[in-house]
Amino acid sequence: MDPDNTGQLVLGAAGGDEDAWRELVERFSGLVWAVARAHRLATADAADVFQTTWLRLAEHIRRIDRPDRIGAWLATAARRECLQSLRSAGRTLPIDDMERLDITPAVGNPTEEAVLAAEQEKEDADRAAAVWQALDRVSARCRELLRVLMASPPPSYAEVAAALGLPLGSIGPTRARCLQRLREEVAGITAGPSSSN
Amino acid sequence: MHDPDDELEAELRRLAAAWDPVPAELRQAAVDAFSWRDIDAEIAELVYDSLLDFDEASLVRGPAGQRLVSFAVGGMTIDVEVTSTGTGRTVMGQIVPPQRATVDIRHPRDMVTVEADDLGRFRSGPLPPGPASLRLHPPPGAAGPDIVTDWIAL
Repeated sequence: MDPDNTGQLVLGAAGGDEDAWRELVERFSGLVWAVARAHRLATADAADVFQTTWLRLAEHIRRIDRPDRIGAWLATAARRECLQSLRSAGRTLPIDDMERLDITPAVGNPTEEAVLAAEQEKEDADRAAAVWQALDRVSARCRELLRVLMASPPPSYAEVAAALGLPLGSIGPTRARCLQRLREEVAGITAGPSSSN
Repeated sequence: MHDPDDELEAELRRLAAAWDPVPAELRQAAVDAFSWRDIDAEIAELVYDSLLDFDEASLVRGPAGQRLVSFAVGGMTIDVEVTSTGTGRTVMGQIVPPQRATVDIRHPRDMVTVEADDLGRFRSGPLPPGPASLRLHPPPGAAGPDIVTDWIAL
């Protein structure tokens, strides 16, 4: 099963094709980064996990058993690096997702069209802020799962399972439950501070 | 797309892309990782890491700030002790069976070369934290391929 050409890219890179390697990086960087973030690693530690994972793949690329499943291989390797990082003494403190939240309101403009656009923009920004904030209110397990699912391009369930050390069959049901929990938290935040608890 | 779960997931994906994207310099580092391959060397795989593999029955964990890591290939083992000293790392190694070798300690910005003595022992000066891998060259005149270890984050 190789619905896309991922397996071919791996074989290409194994043969020394730099373009194939570049395409693999393009396709799976988002996943590797998401695995590090799902484990709540601060930027410096996430960067180490990310780099180590790709260096390791480069060295192993000629002996990958299932080239079509390279995403799961990367997710597994990244997860292992994350666990190591979390247990090492010298790591930096985990980040607060909200620290990165920096939404600047749209600047006003006299035309009516621009006013409407600005209102829409404000509405979108409020909604985005509420969703981001809601991510911090769901359970740790949900936050981990959602952060991996949020990777671009979308990861397969097999990759998500590998990233979190969960059984493949649990991903679908957990995803549905966690998205529902997130929806409830967003609703609570948008309804106002009084209903947020 | 009409499935509400798919829509919410897509919304999350847009937010992550906007607010927590893969840093451009890391993407470039991943591209550059390809040039670190050593296609003629054998890989000594990571077989033990005290940070991950310890359990009650096995060896006692070393003092805080110390990590034991083992790599193996064929009949050879490379045991490495990583010590954290503030922001730096020091590596002390032992090749088993004991033998001389030239050891390159590779990390993405640089490479440090040290010699393993007759007893297979080697040690580094201070290294920056981050990914690292060892490459062992057999001494001049000795047969055998170079050996590279799996990359680990120091």
